[in-house]
Amino acid sequence: MEGVRGRSEQRDVIMDEAKVRLRSMDVFMGLGFLAVGAFVAYDGFVAFHATQLATVDKSANPGVTTLFIGSLMGLLGLVIAVIGVTGSRHPFRIARQAISETLRSKTFYKGVVAMAGIAVYFFIFWDRLPYVVSTFLFLAGMMTTFKAGAWWKIGLISGATVAIVWYVFGVLAMIPLP
Amino acid sequence: MGFEQIMAEVFKTLSLEYVFLIASGVLIGLIVGALPGLTTTMGIALLTGITFKFSGHSAIALLMGLYVGGVSGGSLSAILVGIPGTPANASSTQDGFPLAMAGKGAQAITISRMASIIGTLFGIGCLAFLTPLLTELALKFTSAEFFLIGLFGVLISGALTGGDLALKGWVAGIFGLAIGMVGSDELTAWQRMTFGSPELFGGIPFIPIMIGFFGIPQVIEALSDEQDVLVARLDKTRVKLKEILQYWWVALRSGLIGVGIGIIPGVGEDVASWTSYGVAKKASKHPEAYGKGSIEGLVAAETADNSCIGGAIIPLLSLGIPGSPPAAVMLGAFLIHGVRPGPMLSFEFPAFTYQAVAWLLVATLFMRFFAMWLAKPMQRILQIKSAILMPIVTVLCAIGAYSLDMRFIDIFLVFFAGLLGLLFKRGKYPAAPLVLGIVLGPLVDTNFRRALKASGGDFSIFFTRPVSLILVIAIVMLILGQLGVFAKIWELLKKKPEAAV
Repeated sequence: MEGVRGRSEQRDVIMDEAKVRLRSMDVFMGLGFLAVGAFVAYDGFVAFHATQLATVDKSANPGVTTLFIGSLMGLLGLVIAVIGVTGSRHPFRIARQAISETLRSKTFYKGVVAMAGIAVYFFIFWDRLPYVVSTFLFLAGMMTTFKAGAWWKIGLISGATVAIVWYVFGVLAMIPLP
Repeated sequence: MGFEQIMAEVFKTLSLEYVFLIASGVLIGLIVGALPGLTTTMGIALLTGITFKFSGHSAIALLMGLYVGGVSGGSLSAILVGIPGTPANASSTQDGFPLAMAGKGAQAITISRMASIIGTLFGIGCLAFLTPLLTELALKFTSAEFFLIGLFGVLISGALTGGDLALKGWVAGIFGLAIGMVGSDELTAWQRMTFGSPELFGGIPFIPIMIGFFGIPQVIEALSDEQDVLVARLDKTRVKLKEILQYWWVALRSGLIGVGIGIIPGVGEDVASWTSYGVAKKASKHPEAYGKGSIEGLVAAETADNSCIGGAIIPLLSLGIPGSPPAAVMLGAFLIHGVRPGPMLSFEFPAFTYQAVAWLLVATLFMRFFAMWLAKPMQRILQIKSAILMPIVTVLCAIGAYSLDMRFIDIFLVFFAGLLGLLFKRGKYPAAPLVLGIVLGPLVDTNFRRALKASGGDFSIFFTRPVSLILVIAIVMLILGQLGVFAKIWELLKKKPEAAV
């Protein structure tokens, strides 16, 4: 019985900690929304006072909606940030702690490698290499990195995928691939 | 257009080509839905990019097939491996997986398939019956009503999907509205939030954003956290229709819940199935069996998420406002293929609603055969490593976004939308209101200003028309309700009599 109670208390502590971390993240996300909202509202303000739109009826001015939407988003962002501060109490300290823990986890590094692989394929390979080559390199590279199996299996799957995608899009759909 | 002409139009789009495409859509949907990490919304977004060269209606028929297959397919993995293929099937794992682990996998799949069919047919019936009625009503709407419906949709979607904070849902929806307003303004051609980039003058393209937002986070999460999958064995039990029909009341109630939630803008199948599951458990004579392999629970969850499909398409066709995230992506696909949903659809394509009904019926028919037929191969497919599957999904994400306009910027957008999706997931911000906001951005914006222009800048236009007034009251009640005002009033009222005693 004691053991069960202990486990349940431990679970509650972990859940509370997760919630506190979420609130800490809310502070930053809320501030992010506040910044985006401010930008949207500013864009609306610029449109509202643009000389090019002087002849346009004020109620039909494109700035009306963006001013309204931007202000609302900023306000909601601010409220979320405030809820985050009250819920986490020490958002910066918790964030520092969460970041240092994340940096020590294997999952995080795997995620970074995955993201880097995708970024290389999208931003570097895509318009610099022929499609067939870039896609094969990406597939084989990712599968090797994440240990999908034997090299011949990876080569076969990557080759077959590239051939199918190239045939369907490049030949059948006649899309000019890079 | 007379009844005979409408029927002729419907049969025209039931040719062998269409039937084949719908069957392919269902098959792809079942596989996409069954694979954990690939959602129906993402599947529709991907296939929209891939099928953009298809002649108008045939691509839409294919996507409808995928929608039906996707929602149903998610139950396969929910039952076989205890991981829902799509969020819509999360409640099916509660009873489906325990049934499968108890050696009743085939029985669970057959029950879930039958419940799916009953749910889909119920939703289709409501779609056929309610869409013309709602369209007729919508024809009387002015800009003020359309603005308020759009705003109400974003707010209610945010409130129902906001999770730990309704504010998160609202801010996500409003952020979506802001994204939807990027580009050249429809009324004055003024450039909004484009940073002077000519590539953004036409606005931020919806499909690449959807592909990135739903696809990339799944790829990254699946690759960084690969887990071993425990697949349940299939038995050879046969289930008779009679066994399901004894739960007819549960199915009917779940169907109604599914359609009702489907009609609410941007909420979707997951909320429908959880709501139905919760209601069924509360009303059940054996609530203790729920979560341990209750057939009643499985029927409740599966009927509701499938009936939600028809429900979600009702506001899409009649108002141009999607009822669920997959329906929101479908709206993008409709526009790409020259079909503009809304009240005017009944004039531009008078037979379209009935064509959609026919496609969904054909899709349901194929779902009936494919779901069981796929169960065995799916056991093997579910064991494919993420390290193989996810790089292939990334390639499809890139080509799907690129093939729409052949622009490199769309690939970049996929990546940045992916980062945003990851951030939203980590912060527990819901995706549904964001998607709805992006889709409804232009509608909300232009109708807001049109209404103000028509009234000469007088805001009373939003309060003086009966439908507008009802919508304003609904919005105010929704906001006050989420802020806990009613709960506080109720507490005060309860305390007063106690104090008097």
